[in-house]
This record gives sequence, structure tokens and C-alpha cells, in this order.
Amino acid sequence: MTCSHLNQLSNRNLFFKCENLQKTGSFKFRGACNAVSKVVSTNQKSPDRELSVVTHSSGNHAQAVSLAAQVQGVTAHIVMPSNSPAVKKEAVRSYGGLIVECEPTEQSRVATADQVAERTGATMVHPNQSPDVMAGQGTMVFEILEQVERVDAIVVPVGGGGMLSGVSVAAKKLCPHAKIYAAEPKNADDCAVSMARGELTPLPAPPVTVCDALKTSIGPHTWPIIRDHVDDVITVTEEEIKAAMRLVWERMKLVIEPSSAVGVAAVMTDRFQRLPADGHQNIVVILCGGNVDLEHLPWMR
Amino acid sequence: MEAQRVTVPDVETPAGRLQGHARETPVLTCGTLDELAGRRLYFKCENLQKSGSFKFRGAYNAISRLLSSTNQNPPPVVTHSSGNHACALALAAHQLDVTAHVVMPRTAPQCKKETVRGYGGKVIECTPTEQARVETMERIAAETGAVYISSSQHPDVIAGQGTMGLELLRQVPELDAVITPVGGGGMLAGVSLVMKSLNPHVRVYGAEPELANDAATSLAKGERCPLSYYPDTIADGLRINMGPVAWPYIRENVDDIISVTEEEIKNAMTLIWQRMKLVVEPSGVVGVAAALSDSFKAREEPAKNVAVILSGGNLDLLKLPDLLSVSEHV
Repeated sequence: MTCSHLNQLSNRNLFFKCENLQKTGSFKFRGACNAVSKVVSTNQKSPDRELSVVTHSSGNHAQAVSLAAQVQGVTAHIVMPSNSPAVKKEAVRSYGGLIVECEPTEQSRVATADQVAERTGATMVHPNQSPDVMAGQGTMVFEILEQVERVDAIVVPVGGGGMLSGVSVAAKKLCPHAKIYAAEPKNADDCAVSMARGELTPLPAPPVTVCDALKTSIGPHTWPIIRDHVDDVITVTEEEIKAAMRLVWERMKLVIEPSSAVGVAAVMTDRFQRLPADGHQNIVVILCGGNVDLEHLPWMR
Repeated sequence: MEAQRVTVPDVETPAGRLQGHARETPVLTCGTLDELAGRRLYFKCENLQKSGSFKFRGAYNAISRLLSSTNQNPPPVVTHSSGNHACALALAAHQLDVTAHVVMPRTAPQCKKETVRGYGGKVIECTPTEQARVETMERIAAETGAVYISSSQHPDVIAGQGTMGLELLRQVPELDAVITPVGGGGMLAGVSLVMKSLNPHVRVYGAEPELANDAATSLAKGERCPLSYYPDTIADGLRINMGPVAWPYIRENVDDIISVTEEEIKNAMTLIWQRMKLVVEPSGVVGVAAALSDSFKAREEPAKNVAVILSGGNLDLLKLPDLLSVSEHV
């Protein structure tokens, strides 16, 4: 979708890829579907075997895997931090996912998921480090190229890097002239720091950011792809994110979560504004999801 | 002009006129809502329309027609409205290089006054009564020569709203019913006349808050029965009575009008915001509430593929907590 007001503010032609309207409310459904399909096709020769998958997720991937599994007749075990928003837990249950709670740390998420995998024989579908998940996220690029004439740049929010790697690999192959910009909260800037240092530098501690879907660090599978295919990382403040989120709600009438607003905030920054007009006219901004607790909105706090 | 009846050709011309100016808004679907309704629902997203509501269509058409009917300098336009028509008229006027005077009650939401000003409209505040709105508007018209563009009772406005019906027939070939909210009746009049002229098997329903059910009462009695008071419904865009110009179209072309409670409106808000990720104002989800109501679900007539118009998305975000149901009634 487009918005003339946001075009005026940014001085660019912005094209918003509305993954908040995707099944389960975020782009994560693409990668989840692809990964679950792989599990099913890998086990085609044992049709009687009960298939299951397991993952650890703060919300969007959890819902995506649950629904992707449900529609393909597979059981989904979802490891979720105990402090995940209630609406996300309810959504996972409504899609048939079986929740296993863990502590809100990276360590606990991983360990609990491993335990479930061992106990049940479920196949792990990592939220962002699985190649099948990354490939699924990359399918956005095919659509973008059909929907937008002459893409100059794509702005992609980054948490674990699954979408950024999938999109950047596909884009560099299909439209190599297009620049790829990652957009990241300053408070969770592991991707920016890694790019600056030239080596993977995960966050030292759980970040404090309104973007609950971007709290994970980029990982060993996504980092090399990001390093080699992403042109730059733009970081934005919490205030910039909240302002961008409110702008999209008010002017575009779309419900997007804070993580989605990161890309919008990025194109409004001085840094992005300073990019040359030449070759930076048609900018695709990915609105990655719309799963937000309506009772706890950032501007109400 | 007031006596002129709007027919389908009067709607097809605006459709061409609006191209490139108004959006052909998307039609979206939602599996969860289909399950709840027991039908396939097709949501026409006029919250994504220019100025945030379907009103832009009628406003743009009316001003365009005015311009093409005069050889001299275009006159300014004037209206009285606290909401979506104000914003729509201001934006349409700005795009057509015409001055818009908008009379707004002093109590109108600040964000709406600012939106009108942001679109280049001149806001004239008045006491919040019907009388003051009309008198102020008449004074401005006399002083400036501005032409009055009603929010729903002008044939060109009705014709403009009817373009939604043309788009729906193209976008949803399997359509067999349409539900639209009804306030002044401009949208219901325009859409219903298109349906009954081009595809009479498509059933047309209005949707109205129970607290403001003048249209439902009128349809049941066969004569227009306006309310004598300003109803207190959260669907603030539907507080006005169905007007005398829209009424004959509604009487002739609408199959029924479904009334919904405030609670049903809040439930619909929660579902649309949470499941469809769309910002829609309470008036805008009244059609959804109707589609999910027990009375509509119990109907036996064939209505498997039902278009529901989400009429607009202009609201004060700070008021959102009061507009949602406490827990989602799934």
C-alpha cells in the first residue's frame, strides 16, 4: 500500500508490504509453512508416523508454526517465555499449538525447546536460523517485484535476521541493483554493531525495547548472509519507533506492531534522508506484523 | 438538482471521474470471521480510502460536477459536519483547487478539526446544535457565494458513494449480499441502487445501531421516522437521521435493516482490530456487527458471499480502550 502523507514526510515513494495482513498476523507464516512442509515431505515414506514440530518464540513465529502445522496435520509444541503478551498465547492456543512455558531468557528458551524435542521426537523449527524458514521469508521478494515497478531499496526490520537474510538473498539475485537496508531498534542493535565490527556480536543482555518481536540477536546462520548481502543498518530510538507506529495507525489505518514501525522510523531518519535521491526513489518498507496487545499500546503508557 | 433521480449511468460517470483520485479500495477476507459468521465475508476497506472514509467519493464527485457545470471561477464549497464528510470535502476541494468552508461544532474532536485544516479547509466553529450548524453554514454561503455540499442528501454525493457498488460487483463476482452501515443514508442509497439495477439478486442490508435505529423503523413502517433527539451511540458517524433524499432509494432497494447493540459494535471493533489488523472506527464496523448478529445468522435467504463495507477509520486513538469489548467474544 501507499500513503501520500508518508511520501511527503519522507520525500520518497514508499511502498508498504503489508505482512501485518498475512495469515497469523505476520510474515512468519511464510517461513513456518515452508519448514513444516519440508517435515511432511521428508516423512512421506512413513505416512503413519505422527509428525510434530517444536519451536521457541516470543509470539509471531509461535502462531505461525501453530497454524502451519495445524493445516498440515502436524502437532506443534511451542516454547514461549512466561511474560509473552496474553493475546499471543491465546492466539497460539486457538491455532492448535501446545504451549510449554520457559523463563524469559535466550538460554531458557533454547534449553526448554531441546528438552521437548528429545521428549517428543519433534523436529525443531528455529524462528530465524533455519534455512527453510529463511527461504520462506524470502518469498516476499517475488511478490514485491510483481507489485512494485522498479524497486530502488527494501527496508527490512531485523531481530534474529530470518527475514533479512531471506529477503536480501532473494533480492540480490532477482534485483541486484536494489539496496537492502536493515532497520533495528537502537536498544537492540546487535546487527548494526556486528556489521560495523565485521563479526557477529550478539547482545550481551536481554534488550529493553518496545519491539518485543526484535529482541533476539542475529545468529550464526543469518549473520554471514546479512554481512554479505545487506548494504547498511539504520538504528532508531524508542521514541522514533512509537511515533512511526502511531503515524501508520493514524494515517494508513493499519494495525502494526512496534517491530513493524522500525522500518517506517528508519526511512524518516536524517540518515536515510541524506541518502542521494538518485537511485533511492522507490523504497519498499516491510510492515512485518500486526500482533499487538490493544490494551497496552505504547502511547497509552 | 434535488429532484433529479440518480441512476446507474450517474454512478458510472463518477467511477471514471474518481479514477486516479479516489482509491479502488481492496476487499479483504478473514478465516476467523467467516467461521464466526457462518458465511464468506468480503470486507470493502473504505477505511483505506483517501481522507480515511468512503465520504471522499461523494465529496469529490460533487465538487467535480460543480466545476464542470460552471464556466466562471469555481465557487467555494461549504458544509457542516463534525467528522468524515468534513475531512473528505476539505481534501477533495484541495485536490480540485477549490476553497472549502467547513462548519464544525465547537465540541468536534480536535484531531478532526486539525485534519480539516491540514487538508486546507477553513474551519468555522459553531455551537453544537443542529440549528447553529445550519445557520452558520447559511451565513457563510451568503457571505462567500459558497455552494452547500450535503454529506449524504446530494444526488452527486449519492452517486459518488454508489461507485463502491460497481467496484464490489467487479471485485466479488460471486457476491450475493451487501451490508452497509446507515446514518444519513447516502452510502446505502448509492450502493443499493447500483445492486438492484445491475444485479437484482444481490440482497442489500443496512446496518444501524439500535440506539439510532431511525432507518430500521422507517423501513418497517414504510415512511421516514426521524429521531427527535441526538442518539448516544459510540458509532458517532451514524447519529444523524436518514435524510429525505436518501430515503426513497432505501425504501425501494433495501431488503432489510439490521440493528445492533453497543456491545455488538464493541465486539466487532475488537475482532477487526485484532484479527484483521485494520484501524476502523465504530461506525465503520456496524456492518460487521450486523453480519455476526444472531438475527442475521438465522436468516434463511441465500447469502453465502456477503460484502461488508468498512466505511471509515477516523477516530481518536486515545479513546480506543472505551471502544473495545473487555474480552474477545469468540
